[in-house]
Amino acid sequence: MFNRRDFGKISLAAGLAAAMGRPAWAASAADNAVKAAQQYKGRTITIVWEAGLQSLDPTHFSGPKWKELTGMDVKVVEVATAEMFTKIMQDYKSEAGAYDALNVIPAWMPDLAQAGALEVLDPYVEKYAYAGELQTIAPTYRDNWMKVGGKIYGFPDDGDVFIMYYRRDIFEDPAVQKAFKDKTGKDLAVPKTWADFDVVGTGLTDILKDKGIYGAAFFRQPPYAMFMFEERFRNEGGKFFDADTMKAMINSDVGVKVFTGMRNENKFMPPGVEQFGFVENLAAFLQGQTAMTISWPPYGRWAEGYGTDQEALNWVPKTTIAGKVGYALPPGGHPELAAGFSLSISSTSKNKDAAYLFIQWLNSEEVSRQRVQLPYTLRDPFRDSHYSDPGYLALWPNAKDYLAALKQASQTGLLDLSLLQTDKYEEVLRQAISKLWAGDDPKTILNAAAADWDNITQKIGVDKQKAVYASWAANSGAYPKV
Amino acid sequence: MPAIAHPDRNFKYWLISPAIFLLLLIGLFPLIFSLVVSFMRISMLETDRSFAGPVNFVQLFHDARLWQSLAHTALIIVIALPVELLLGLAMAYLFLDTMPGRQILISLLVLPTIISPIVAGATWRLLFDNRYGPINQILGWFAGHPVAALWTVNPRLVYPAIIFCEIWQWTPFMFLILLAALSNVDRSLTEAAEIDGARFWRSFRYIVLPAIWPVMSIAILIRGLDLFRIFDIIWALTAGGPGTMTETISVYAYVQGFQQFETSYMAAIAFLVIALLTVIVTFAVRRMGLAK
Repeated sequence: MFNRRDFGKISLAAGLAAAMGRPAWAASAADNAVKAAQQYKGRTITIVWEAGLQSLDPTHFSGPKWKELTGMDVKVVEVATAEMFTKIMQDYKSEAGAYDALNVIPAWMPDLAQAGALEVLDPYVEKYAYAGELQTIAPTYRDNWMKVGGKIYGFPDDGDVFIMYYRRDIFEDPAVQKAFKDKTGKDLAVPKTWADFDVVGTGLTDILKDKGIYGAAFFRQPPYAMFMFEERFRNEGGKFFDADTMKAMINSDVGVKVFTGMRNENKFMPPGVEQFGFVENLAAFLQGQTAMTISWPPYGRWAEGYGTDQEALNWVPKTTIAGKVGYALPPGGHPELAAGFSLSISSTSKNKDAAYLFIQWLNSEEVSRQRVQLPYTLRDPFRDSHYSDPGYLALWPNAKDYLAALKQASQTGLLDLSLLQTDKYEEVLRQAISKLWAGDDPKTILNAAAADWDNITQKIGVDKQKAVYASWAANSGAYPKV
Repeated sequence: MPAIAHPDRNFKYWLISPAIFLLLLIGLFPLIFSLVVSFMRISMLETDRSFAGPVNFVQLFHDARLWQSLAHTALIIVIALPVELLLGLAMAYLFLDTMPGRQILISLLVLPTIISPIVAGATWRLLFDNRYGPINQILGWFAGHPVAALWTVNPRLVYPAIIFCEIWQWTPFMFLILLAALSNVDRSLTEAAEIDGARFWRSFRYIVLPAIWPVMSIAILIRGLDLFRIFDIIWALTAGGPGTMTETISVYAYVQGFQQFETSYMAAIAFLVIALLTVIVTFAVRRMGLAK
């Protein structure tokens, strides 16, 4: 009898066979999309995109190129991440039909799909022959970020995953290695568990603090630290809920251990790390002030100076550590597939086919390969071919190691918790983390957070949420495989 | 000669009716609609839009976070309002007499009030930042060692930080209003009192205060209401944290409405605020004698 994994393997094999066995004359998904879209010449499609660097992709690259190929205009509505869900729902509820295509954080998909805001894409995939290329999206993203209730609602389009970055020059420095051995009795190595991380972080801070280098720093602002908690909690064996009763279990011994560990680690990190966001942490690492950090893939590119000469990236601190950075999985080995984006179609769009063709083209093997290499945007590799693309591998000397780490992370990564009204649960976590940094007792904080989670579940409906949780927990990336 | 027809007696009402209609449309309709919404089950995340009765209003009384947010709001008002008033009054006295550069100094002092509060909050957040902000650096010069005060994280420092920003931005408003009021006080009365031996406090209590009270009470009322709906500075500095420690009623209403998408519950909160403010303003207007 087939299990889920076998079925996945067979599907992948079939997809690859279909793609590789394609006759020379068969058009690619990008070609199909362009050809079909030419009938919509002169139309304008509106797409919601995350404001900032992300939206430089459609405004500077893909939008103009699509116009050139099809004669269709692309209007980009830039929205801050925190406002994206609201804007999409407002447009849907008001039936304004202002948006045709959408960037959707996969964890939102159950809510948006249940509300009816997203168009089911299966008929379009079939109509425009995209099934083959969909199969070559990296399995974690393809299997977890695409469907709700067995139907396709979005195409995974951004391989967001946490990676550990460390200073190879420090870890390979004989003097530091000796000092570390003398101090701890252990060999200096990139930590694979959180217990090791504490030893290495403390040791390196003690040894290097006089030179202005700390063992590690993380982003600690609650919206980011929330992802880190979700990752670490599961790596340490925690479960978010009791699957039978839907009682929250974040206040278990594992939760308390993780919270306590997170707070204690601040002691060997730079002063004020509790205020570090994405940029502060990036600056500390790029300026050589920290030996280890965990973050999304752009850190790795910018640490090597890739694209930082572009005007759009002039805010990124100049790297002092190019050529000195190593890449590894975060302790525990199962990094968070934090946030990410999928491309969807608004159910109220008046240009559904045209908009669909645009996202198929964007997401296709051929075009996505170019998009993930744009230096100024934040799209990260998400297809098997992205990790082995010769162009990408040649971008900087150790890009091979970087892409290998991303690929490995994508294979072992853990999904963000995704339920009905996920943000309510996440808000509780964010508040809990801010209380943690304020010095409250971890157990007390987590007991209160668990009670809040239980109240939210009760309000939504235990049975309703239980079914959604069961569906989420059945995904390959929900919990580490034992 | 043909008789001049008398104009329609209701003509004047016809003339003003478009303006009245417009006012009702943009003022009264949203209010009534919000009231209707508060009795429904509207949430952006649910398809159910049925009539809920008073459920949302009953929930208000069981919502500890709501009452905490009201207490936080009251705390900020109780501290910031008197400080702004006293500082504004002191500054107004200082600038009452002519002095070199007076106009320029007044213009500079008023600058904070013309900055958008969200921009002011974001700017103060940077100033308070431990890594890049100058405040800790300056404190470090005085302390003789590096100061790593986490102004937006440490529970003992968040309220002082918020209230300081609020006072910095809005004391000039009090100052300007009170300066105008003090300028209109009849100098001959205070001079006569001085000649009769009245000290500053008696002169202020019995001559100046009664004279400036109508203007001062309006300023107190305006600032009190502003403080009741304080949002921007807190959102930019702490977003209501740590936890919900600095969450005011406006921040809580925003979170409910635009982060939790509980539209109907947010409408119920809005009506609670309207009811509270109506009581407070009515009481204040009577106590301050503004109705006269």
